[in-house]
Amino acid sequence: MNDLLAVLWIARKDLLHETRSKATTVATLFFSAVTLVVLAFAIGQDEQLLRGAATGALWVAIAFAGVISAAQSYQADLEDGAFDHLLTTPVPRAAVYLGKLLANWLFMLVLSLLMLPVTFVLYGAGFPGAWPWLLATVALGTLGFALIAVFYAGLTANLRARESLLPVLMFPIVVPILLASVRASGALVGVGDLELAQGWLRLLVAFDLVYAVLCTAIYHFVVEE
Amino acid sequence: MSAQHAIELRALVRGYGRRAVLKGLDLELSPGKVVALFGVNGAGKTTLLRLLATRLRPSDGKALVFGHDVVRDGHEVRKRIATLAVFGGAYATLTAREHLHLDAALRERAVGNADALLERVGLTDAKDALVRTYSSGMRKRLGLARLLAADARLWLLDEPHAALDHDGQDLLDELVRGARERGVTVLMATHERQRSRALSDASLLLDDGRLRRLEPEAAP
Repeated sequence: MNDLLAVLWIARKDLLHETRSKATTVATLFFSAVTLVVLAFAIGQDEQLLRGAATGALWVAIAFAGVISAAQSYQADLEDGAFDHLLTTPVPRAAVYLGKLLANWLFMLVLSLLMLPVTFVLYGAGFPGAWPWLLATVALGTLGFALIAVFYAGLTANLRARESLLPVLMFPIVVPILLASVRASGALVGVGDLELAQGWLRLLVAFDLVYAVLCTAIYHFVVEE
Repeated sequence: MSAQHAIELRALVRGYGRRAVLKGLDLELSPGKVVALFGVNGAGKTTLLRLLATRLRPSDGKALVFGHDVVRDGHEVRKRIATLAVFGGAYATLTAREHLHLDAALRERAVGNADALLERVGLTDAKDALVRTYSSGMRKRLGLARLLAADARLWLLDEPHAALDHDGQDLLDELVRGARERGVTVLMATHERQRSRALSDASLLLDDGRLRRLEPEAAP
């Protein structure tokens, strides 16, 4: 079985859904923009303080938008028993997880890349010279977030209180990812310490690897009742 | 030997919380038969279909599909089955044609002539429209097209006649008869007594968590 092809088809399905419904896009874009503006407004006129808070604000916006995106990621699946039907096809559960993960990660990555310049402008932070490392941080941070989000969204998909349970369950797990992402991007944008950033990035890679292996391996427990 | 039976249940138990829905089912079903499954609402018909489709795990006992255990060999079971959900099981933001392509990719089959399949089920004019614009009957017709495209050995149909108009129900009956001729086993949970009696080789009644065989004319 070509599992990779199945992963791509499932991701395509989810991305097609999002491009056609735009439900998550509108909500996350609006929410992220409001978060960035409100935080900048709360910090005030102090330019040094604003610059120092830039990457923290960025990751707060990404995290909140990520929760909305995760909560919506199974919405289309739950209608009319579509996900049930998908799970009766001979596709490994791991491929279903990885397909949904790929779609969710790409969505979060694009959202984060849109938020990056907005953050730099709003918070007056200079674009770092080591920008490829900043992009790597965003890619790895959003990947780690999506790994946890898609897993826990699947776990709570059939629960009545899923909207409130999802952040409660996933945030404690996702904290190391967020801390490492904030530290790595902070080191790049603030003091320009590439060596420090690389240390946090290595940690981020390790987190992503552990979560990827773990979530993929046990996802079948999530979808089987 | 288990492999000779399309479906084999051994003391199959399934409950939700403390409530036991299936209380020790035993059944052996030969391949190529069309079997109607009756029972009042909440009797456990859908639960049994979902167990056979590997979507639910038994609380106790065993369920085998063509000799493959639904828990241990779920992947092998899924290679051999196709399902039709009550509401069709389609994605609202995909078209009918996209569903057939998605299914074909996931089942590793050539998509074949999707247009001919959709024409067969009466969806030619709507084949490129999003499913969210479909009526419930059209969604069910799409489910029929996906069932045909799956080329499976066992069809698990949950209230297949529901939501279909008269022509749609005739079409469904015709497809089930065609499937039987090809050696496909069909298990359908249904409330349509008249049609199912005429269509099926055997009838089963799920009553108080237990299965009873009925003669077609004695179906409730």
